[in-house]
Amino acid sequence: MDPGKNQSLFKDKPIKILLAKPGIDGHDRGILVLAKAFRDAGMEVIYVGLLPTPEEVVDTAINEDVDVVALSLLNGAHMTVFKKVADLMREKGVRDIAIVGGGTIPDADKPKLEKLGITGNYGPGTPIAEIINHITERAAEIRKLKATGE
Amino acid sequence: MKVLKIEEIVQGILDGNRRAVSRGISVVENDYDTAAARRIIREIFPHTGHAQIVGITGPPGIGKSTMIGNLSATLSKKGFRISVVAIDASSPFSGGSLLGNRIRMQESLSKYGVYMRSLANRGLNGGLSRSVWDTVKILDASGSDYIIVETVGAGQADLDIVNLADTVIVVLGPGLGDEIQAIKAGIMEIGHVFVINKMDRQGAFIAMKDIEETLAMSPKGEWKPPVIGVNSLNGEGYEAFIEKIQEHRSFVKSHSDLTMRKFRTELQRTILEELRRRFESDISHFLSDNEEIKQLVRDKIDPYSAAEKLVKKIA
Ligand SMILES: Nc1nc2c(ncn2[C@@H]2O[C@H](COP(=O)(O)OP(=O)(O)O)[C@@H](O)[C@H]2O)c(=O)[nH]1
Ligand SMILES: [Mg+2]
Repeated sequence: MDPGKNQSLFKDKPIKILLAKPGIDGHDRGILVLAKAFRDAGMEVIYVGLLPTPEEVVDTAINEDVDVVALSLLNGAHMTVFKKVADLMREKGVRDIAIVGGGTIPDADKPKLEKLGITGNYGPGTPIAEIINHITERAAEIRKLKATGE
Repeated sequence: MKVLKIEEIVQGILDGNRRAVSRGISVVENDYDTAAARRIIREIFPHTGHAQIVGITGPPGIGKSTMIGNLSATLSKKGFRISVVAIDASSPFSGGSLLGNRIRMQESLSKYGVYMRSLANRGLNGGLSRSVWDTVKILDASGSDYIIVETVGAGQADLDIVNLADTVIVVLGPGLGDEIQAIKAGIMEIGHVFVINKMDRQGAFIAMKDIEETLAMSPKGEWKPPVIGVNSLNGEGYEAFIEKIQEHRSFVKSHSDLTMRKFRTELQRTILEELRRRFESDISHFLSDNEEIKQLVRDKIDPYSAAEKLVKKIA
């Protein structure tokens, strides 16, 4: 194992992440490339292909008890779909699963997503290392929250 | 709901609450040797014993996950509560894992509200993960009628499932070529039901005959493992398949020695682990003592004698 890949917080307890592409447009090889990159960075990656509805995304995240849900959309529906995922999480009282976004997201939408707790929001072409760093930071917050309640 | 406390997790598991079940599994997976994990298992254990644990093993790509989707749907329709656990291998290089079994069953899981959890084996050999033993206890206590466990799928190496499951389903099929002989060497003895999947494919009947002949030559116990052909794309053969699973459940229920054997095996493993944990620090302390080691090397003490002496001292 490369030194530093599995920082002590995640040693023997890898970050668990759900990679979800809500919706039904199935032509995105990009998400499998991401899944493999996350695995190679030491994460346990739930890869489901398509999860048609935000309800399914949230149920799957809860059942798998992931640290992070990574949502990806290339069709411009992020303001409705990502928001719905965040709303459902809140309705179900889940505040210990982080949501990060990605896809074709105009800069103007990013602050609105951040307000909903959806961070990252990287566009295509972002270096994968940057995405992984961000996910690791969010996962660290979540692990701390689970351990201490704050 | 805020962050869950242990007593909320325990109560939630017994109430069948999904969040509590999920978090409970995370605790036994990530913190299995902690007081919290042990407390969960201790408190839920009296409520286990109802579920039938059905293990599904067989080579990669044979259709195990697809089959679990079908079984979940069919058994849910009959009114049973189903839970699924599927195990994938962790990468020995990064420690990460791509948990992809869900893809093939997601539709049934969503449609019938079936609980499913993916686990990485985290380096354990034998087709299971360390955490699966406690995971099935949690799912059992949460009210499942059937818990279906998919093994990693490394063919002949996936033998541990026989210690975990009440009923072991060995899935084989056409097109395995010479590989089938190697796979058979390990798994013919552990199956309670043999399923030939992909009956729509050429060579399926030959595969079925091959397995039947091998079984005919094997020593016979009281349970005669049947061989069933199914097509997981259209559901053909599933009624007969499920009947066999239920028949085996009755068989297990009427043979209390099987339950005892299972418990004995798990207890043995747990005792060995407990011993290791207990003496781990003594041993590593001894091993890192340069003076001790130097002396052993100088006096040409063989490793057996040195180990015996250490064990006498610490045990
Ligand atoms: N022709 C045919 N293909 C099947 C059948 N069952 C599963 N498959 C396909 O076999 C492939 C592997 O299935 P999967 O369930 O992932 O196998 P696993 O690796 O054993 O879990 C998928 O493409 C399935 O669609 C079947 O009965 N007939
Ligand atoms: Mg599979």
